[in-house]
Amino acid sequence: MKEWLNELAAEFKLNFIDDDRWELIVEGLKNTIIITFFALLIGVAIGVVISLIRSTYDNNKEDYKRKGGVGYVIMSILNGICNIYLTIIRGTPVVVQLLIMYFVVFATSRNGLMVAIICFGINSGAYVAEIFRSGIMSIDKGQFEAGRSLGFNYIQTMIYIIIPQMFKVVLPTLCNEFIVLLKETSVAGYVGIRDLTKAGDLIRGRTFSAFMPLIAVALIYLVIVMILTWLLRRLERRLRKSER
Amino acid sequence: MNGETLLKVDNLKKYYADGAVKALDDVSSEIKRGEAVVVVGPSGSGKSTFLRCLNLLEMPTEGHIYFNGVDIMDKEADINIHRQKMGMVFQHFNLFPHMTVLNNMTLGPIKLLKMSKEEAEANAMKLLARVGLEDRANEYPSKLSGGQKQRVAIVRALCMNPEVMLFDEPTSALDPEMVGEVLDVMKELAREGMTMVVVTHEMGFAKEVASRVVFMDRGKIMEQGSPAEVFGNPRSERLKSFLAKVL
Ligand SMILES: Nc1ncnc2c1ncn2[C@@H]1O[C@H](COP(=O)(O)OP(=O)(O)OP(=O)(O)O)[C@@H](O)[C@H]1O
Ligand SMILES: [Mg+2]
Repeated sequence: MKEWLNELAAEFKLNFIDDDRWELIVEGLKNTIIITFFALLIGVAIGVVISLIRSTYDNNKEDYKRKGGVGYVIMSILNGICNIYLTIIRGTPVVVQLLIMYFVVFATSRNGLMVAIICFGINSGAYVAEIFRSGIMSIDKGQFEAGRSLGFNYIQTMIYIIIPQMFKVVLPTLCNEFIVLLKETSVAGYVGIRDLTKAGDLIRGRTFSAFMPLIAVALIYLVIVMILTWLLRRLERRLRKSER
Repeated sequence: MNGETLLKVDNLKKYYADGAVKALDDVSSEIKRGEAVVVVGPSGSGKSTFLRCLNLLEMPTEGHIYFNGVDIMDKEADINIHRQKMGMVFQHFNLFPHMTVLNNMTLGPIKLLKMSKEEAEANAMKLLARVGLEDRANEYPSKLSGGQKQRVAIVRALCMNPEVMLFDEPTSALDPEMVGEVLDVMKELAREGMTMVVVTHEMGFAKEVASRVVFMDRGKIMEQGSPAEVFGNPRSERLKSFLAKVL
């Protein structure tokens, strides 16, 4: 037993203390969090715009057709672009998207972190857009009619009345998307970014001992996800309480 | 001016399912300033459709609607401007749950009428006091009873200073003991000369308040006239059998 403990301590020292290898882990964690956070920010921005365009188009299709003209053409085109975006993003693996972004679209840039943020942002935008759209659809139609009957136009009704309520509905799902995204960024190492996963792998490559660094990385992900899940549960309970 | 035409509806048709359902089948009517028009009729007769066409929440298939002489179905007409002058009250209140009672009432005046916050709030408080709810101004709608919600919904519409108020079964979702408090507010409005179009199953209200009762059936206006005429001297068999059921 004692021997085993000593061995474990030596392993720990080799993997994390020697050559200050723990710094790799800290740097990796930092990058993982930066990518996740800013990607979600971009995702939310894209999500709001896309869900607005799509639900505007769906709700006003007849109106546009009746009035015809430029408005209808523009909305049809925008809606078409959104649909293409959603289809492509959700129909291809995120690793492939990342590789294309890094080696094709931004081939001249060596700022991997930036490319990763943009790539994961664009990726999560597609999922967030659908979260928002279902959120918008879940709001009682009467809310919309009440807004319109006061004289608000479609966009004003969305901004003042529907979207604030939508955010409350989707907040838990949005937090969940954050958790999903956090884990998804673990493929960032494919384009040479030192995220948390890559950091563990780097240490493994240098010390030739796989157990310690990889388990450590897994534990860190697990703890973060557990904390976020706990916060999410509290949030859900709060929201449910304020409902009625 | 009282007596001048405020709303005019010409040959209005609203079809659903490619014409299989004729919710409105050639309806024409005129609503004058100061009138309290009560629309009655069996379920599915097109009452709500008629009311909701008046402010174009429902787009008619055919026909014309003139508000203050302006054809609001015209492509060039800005319906949002006209809707500011047409208050609407719904069966299910449709208060904004994420805003306090006061903010529900001031949102329109501040954002659309460009009123100052102070002015809008002072105005809203005055109206709230009139319906006896000034102490609930800072509550959220979920804290109110059904009757209180509907009274707030009415004054929210009044905050926009409308020229006509449209009511779609405003008491149908209420517990019986709360119906009176809402009807009282509506009666007072009518007494003050507000132009109103009310869809309701409350025949007592119709008899007491209506300047004109409109009986609809199968998407058409079958009969209309003073409450005494419609209730006391029904001509069509449909109206007779309808009255036999509801009175
Ligand atoms: N969105 C819709 N799609 C298809 N049919 C509809 C739609 N809305 C209304 N209808 C039909 O139009 C007719 C008139 O409906 P409307 O709601 O105006 O009746 P109503 O007189 O208000 O009835 P109630 O007293 O039940 O409220 C009904 O046959 C109804 O089924
Ligand atoms: Mg109805």
